[in-house]
Amino acid sequence: MIKTARFLTSLALAGLLGLASAQGVSIGILSPLTGGSAGTGQAQRAGFELALAEINAAGGVLGEPLRIIIEDTQANPAVGLAAFEKLMTEDDVEFIAGGFSSGVTLALVESFRTFQPIVMWIGGAVSGIGIDGFDGIEELIGEEDWFFHIHPWDYHNVGAATAFAAQTGSETVALLHEDSAFGGPGSAGAQALLEEAGMTVTLREAFTSTLLGGTGDFRAAISKAAATNADMLYWIGYDSDVVPLSGQIRELNFRPQHIFGAPPGWPTEFAAAPEAQCVTGLIGFMPNLTNPEAIAFTRDYRAMHGVDPDNYMAALAYANLWAYADAINAAGSTDQDAVIAELEAGTFRSPIGDWSFEPSVIAKHQGFGEDLWLVFQYQNGVREIVWPIEKATAPLVSCR
Amino acid sequence: MDTTLLVQALVSGVLAAGLYALVSVGLALAIGVIGIVNFAHGEFFMVGAFLAYQLFVTFGIDPVWSLFIVAPALFALGAIIYTSTIRFVLKAPELNQMLLTFGIGIILQNLALLIWGGDPRTIAGITYRGIGYQIGGVSIGLVPLASFVVSLVLVLGLYWMLARTPLGRAMRAVAQNRTGAALVGLEVNRVYLVAFALSALLAGIGGVMIAVIQSPTPVVGFAFTLKAFAIVVVAGLGNIRGILFAALFVAVAESLVATLVPNGDTLRNAVFFAIIFAVLIRRSWRTA
Repeated sequence: MIKTARFLTSLALAGLLGLASAQGVSIGILSPLTGGSAGTGQAQRAGFELALAEINAAGGVLGEPLRIIIEDTQANPAVGLAAFEKLMTEDDVEFIAGGFSSGVTLALVESFRTFQPIVMWIGGAVSGIGIDGFDGIEELIGEEDWFFHIHPWDYHNVGAATAFAAQTGSETVALLHEDSAFGGPGSAGAQALLEEAGMTVTLREAFTSTLLGGTGDFRAAISKAAATNADMLYWIGYDSDVVPLSGQIRELNFRPQHIFGAPPGWPTEFAAAPEAQCVTGLIGFMPNLTNPEAIAFTRDYRAMHGVDPDNYMAALAYANLWAYADAINAAGSTDQDAVIAELEAGTFRSPIGDWSFEPSVIAKHQGFGEDLWLVFQYQNGVREIVWPIEKATAPLVSCR
Repeated sequence: MDTTLLVQALVSGVLAAGLYALVSVGLALAIGVIGIVNFAHGEFFMVGAFLAYQLFVTFGIDPVWSLFIVAPALFALGAIIYTSTIRFVLKAPELNQMLLTFGIGIILQNLALLIWGGDPRTIAGITYRGIGYQIGGVSIGLVPLASFVVSLVLVLGLYWMLARTPLGRAMRAVAQNRTGAALVGLEVNRVYLVAFALSALLAGIGGVMIAVIQSPTPVVGFAFTLKAFAIVVVAGLGNIRGILFAALFVAVAESLVATLVPNGDTLRNAVFFAIIFAVLIRRSWRTA
């Protein structure tokens, strides 16, 4: 108890120093702190705050407390653009972190290119690869020396989901997806990979997410999926779609063997809902991971924020800030070329384990790939890891 | 086209119309009686949803019963907001009124964000969200059916109140001629207060229903406000009686398009904008 109190006090003091000091290195962060994606933005902020406190408790960056300036994008491209330009012109930051929403990221591409700070980005999964007539983020700025992408690309996401689907033995899959830059290209990639893996996609149907103006009535899309009698229902949407989709699947008596969702986050309390039973989902981090880094991160996050790091964006944000701190300290200055060289050469800490930047299909600097992803299943009110097998905490069960 | 899918679309559309009507009739009441376009209407809806959520989490009160707490709470909230803000702009230009209600909406949204955070919330421990009655391959959801019945009763009750009670007659009189109503001894300001509070109450009840159907978030009211505006326009600004039919028309049209057209769910908003467009064009022809 005393240890926890001391830890919290030292972290809080170190964090305050980092937030208040005008000296030292400043990192500009773009995150959706309000609006429909505020849950994810707040999780990112919590991850950044934990990393900031630890970094400053460990001596800061270049001998000074690190400073972060978080600007709210509201997950709105226009607001995100203004927030970025404010960071560059008023706050004079040289380093950009954070990020969420492919739509916001696409809107920022030209401004990134104009200012060319180092951008180390934990959002924006739409690569554009394999989609005719659409330029994705990886295609547009993946080759830039100053762009570092930590979050997996969409083909990594669907690659992991396809590997899981193949393991379930499903032969037919109905795909429902929200209709924006997130779900549209993601579902196209998913269809291609599922078919390549020998499965039949019986339906690919778009819906309007509750995050983007939908009323949460998905019965039309679900009825069409049910009519195909697919073995698996695979949906791509947002966390606010989880409850209405899951409830309406039961209400319409659609009973696929597997219900698999790929939103960026899952509502915390959903585990206790009856309709959660047997639902599976893709996630980047879970508090019940057993590697030492995850245990330490979960413990410290809980001590600082009083809740578990349920949204994987908290873990990515933590990794994001520590990578900057370690790279700038290793470079010994904020010189852009020196920091880029250290980011390219370094190995960084994260709650998932050590990681480094490697080339992806186009991008020069890609952090995590398929290996980030886990699949969990709600089983009697608990989220059990069911894939990959080596990390599984329980076997997968069928919904039928 | 599979007949079952078609019937399912019709059933889903009719059941959705209840909630649409409930949310719209409150907005129409504010427009029709007070003459104010309330851009914070969706936020009353959101507050109702979060109150139902909180009552469940803190006291374990099922949303069915929390209706009886949330409704008076929203009535009181509406009365407070009317007394402290709206009544001061009744004679102000429309733009000022709109900016005020828009600002109230932003304040309520951000208060919700402060109190409940941005994560979607779930009323998890209820067993009836996924219940559907299967009749010949067509599913009738318990929650949509109940929300349809409750909405229908409330909307018809409001119609009855407006037609048959002294308060309702006072509202209609004030709506027709504010000065004339005052001259014959009606307390106009009090009638406005009750109308605005009643509008908030109806939105709050809609919010309780949506807290069961989906996840309360600070922005959950936006989509329904948009629908409500569409329905109010289709019914005719201030025409409270036309709301039920307009809601039915919009909801069934949306459901049919969502079901019959590939990727039709993404066309729901296009459907009601098309309906608004058609209705406004038709009205302009009639008045030309």
